[in-house]
Amino acid sequence: MQTEIKSNFEKSLNDGDFSSSQKEIKEKNFNKFIEQGFPNKRIENWKFSDLNQIISTNFKNLDFSKKDNQSSIDVDFINEFEHNKIVFVNGNISKIDFSYENEDKISLEQDLELDKELNANVLLNLNTAFLSSCIKITVNKGYQFQKPLILYNYLTSDLESHGLNMRLDINLEDDSSIDVINISNKNAKNNFLNFRQKINIGKNSVLKNYSLDINPTSNIKYSFKDINLNKNSHLEYFVFSKGSKFAKHDINCSLNNNYGSVTLNGIIDLDNKKHHEIKTVINHNEENCKSYQLIKSVLNENSKGVYQGKIYVNSKAQKTDGYQLSRALLLNENVEFNAKPELEIYADDVKCSHGSTSGNIDENSIFYLMSRGLSHAQSKKLLTNGFLNEVVEKITNKDVKSLVKKLTGIQE
Amino acid sequence: MLAIENLKAKIEDKEILKGLNLNIKPGEVHAIMGPNGSGKSTLSNILSGKKGYEVNGNVTFEGENLLDLETEERAHKGIFLAFQYPLEIPGVNTNTFLKTSINAIKKARGEKELDAIEFLKLIKQKSAELKFDEKILSRQLNVGFSGGEKKKNEILQMSILNPKLSILDETDSGLDIDALRIVSEGVNSLRSKDNSFLIITHYQRLLDYIKPDFVHVLKNGQIIKSGDHELAKELEKIGYEDFN
Repeated sequence: MQTEIKSNFEKSLNDGDFSSSQKEIKEKNFNKFIEQGFPNKRIENWKFSDLNQIISTNFKNLDFSKKDNQSSIDVDFINEFEHNKIVFVNGNISKIDFSYENEDKISLEQDLELDKELNANVLLNLNTAFLSSCIKITVNKGYQFQKPLILYNYLTSDLESHGLNMRLDINLEDDSSIDVINISNKNAKNNFLNFRQKINIGKNSVLKNYSLDINPTSNIKYSFKDINLNKNSHLEYFVFSKGSKFAKHDINCSLNNNYGSVTLNGIIDLDNKKHHEIKTVINHNEENCKSYQLIKSVLNENSKGVYQGKIYVNSKAQKTDGYQLSRALLLNENVEFNAKPELEIYADDVKCSHGSTSGNIDENSIFYLMSRGLSHAQSKKLLTNGFLNEVVEKITNKDVKSLVKKLTGIQE
Repeated sequence: MLAIENLKAKIEDKEILKGLNLNIKPGEVHAIMGPNGSGKSTLSNILSGKKGYEVNGNVTFEGENLLDLETEERAHKGIFLAFQYPLEIPGVNTNTFLKTSINAIKKARGEKELDAIEFLKLIKQKSAELKFDEKILSRQLNVGFSGGEKKKNEILQMSILNPKLSILDETDSGLDIDALRIVSEGVNSLRSKDNSFLIITHYQRLLDYIKPDFVHVLKNGQIIKSGDHELAKELEKIGYEDFN
């Protein structure tokens, strides 16, 4: 596989319009990737998800060459839900619609800003090596989005065994807000997606991000988010992780000034040998910040779920309030769930707690429901739905909450 | 309607029912009284099909071998158990549950399922009859319900599903006097020449409100005496200990 990736890289470097310093950065990153390869379980962050092995069992070859959009694709736009949209097809922008907004207050740039320093995360090195453009959405100071923005991330069905590197940054200037929903399509075949986001939330600003992986695909997906929060800003993040064959959500939040807060809720709902991981790091770097995390998992049919959650509290971050809870329902004996909660605290006036439970479905509850005429399958469905619904209920945008209920089928 | 012959039940090698016989005809109300640990709840669990027991003997319901049926099939045939401790089901809306339940039963019987409007009408009528605050039905099933609300919810389910045989497992425990009266009225309103009841209780008090046709004393896994309503009063005086 390495030879092909190398020749893909050479070609992308020659075909692309890069400055010599950009080429140099790309080469450095690429060489590090080639040296180390895809991360394996010997690396602490990947100990429950051996990506190297997952890649080699799922792909004979991975094609990282740049593909222009060839076949057209019909996008299933969400109906009866007023929203702005950006459609990406195979990583390229194919449609932008901000019709509910004042477009003077939004900017969408495509530049290539590469990290000058070599990142320790080898998948970010890979991303940097192949990236041809970064898309950056900026919400201007003081502007509040009227309607949510849906990012439709579509892959055409002729794309197969393809490696796709994408980068989409969001910058909320001070006193602004936006609700963003990420959706991917269903007919996509097995591809490797390496999706990076840098997000900056300015002073007094609010980002609500709902990432929905609903449609079943054989994609292997890695998503890395680096979110910086400024003074009195708030992030509400919700991830619904179900559709992909493999997915790892690597979410890193830094509370860099006072009174910032993060609510990070997730659902892992798996069957059919799927393997998903949510890994979070919340850095409390300054005083009086709050973070709250609730992750619920339902595992069926040989699936595997992982939650690694770390709360870091800097010695300056007094009056920190950090909370994380992971609960998993294991529906049969062949499933696996791994949780690794971590607290790393250097301040002395903090409130931090974590908890993790995993267990079977309660047979007495099943009996209760069956005694009312429901079948075993119906009872199980009702109970798992009820279990997951607690997380959906945390969504604060009411329209989005109903949309998520409609799309996922999870409701009371 | 229900014929129990020489019913024996074991759980983890512990024999709980030791040859129980009972016949219930359509329209009859039977009460089973007995001390703690006599096997009352085991009997109700076995009749509704709870797993985990080793069961011997014959139980037929309307001529059909009941022990061969799954829990939900028994519900479809018209058996209802009002739980002694109704379970709290987080995240499941009570109304959604009630609608799923009644439609599962209607579907199994080949009847037309209720649409949202028909269902709401039924719920409105039944909760008014039981003086049950409808608002509670938009809450999660039994979560945060008071003891009385949980028991009333059981009776509400019973009256919506209109079962042929209702088994009430210590429905009176934990109820105040007013709730006891309301629950009893709910049960009495369902009495008909076709519907039968098996009422399991420690106390005679409930039987002042729901007059049983027969009273049985269950002790040590067997029915040791049967009689009419007077037996309950006698039992109250003597106590289970000295009753032989």
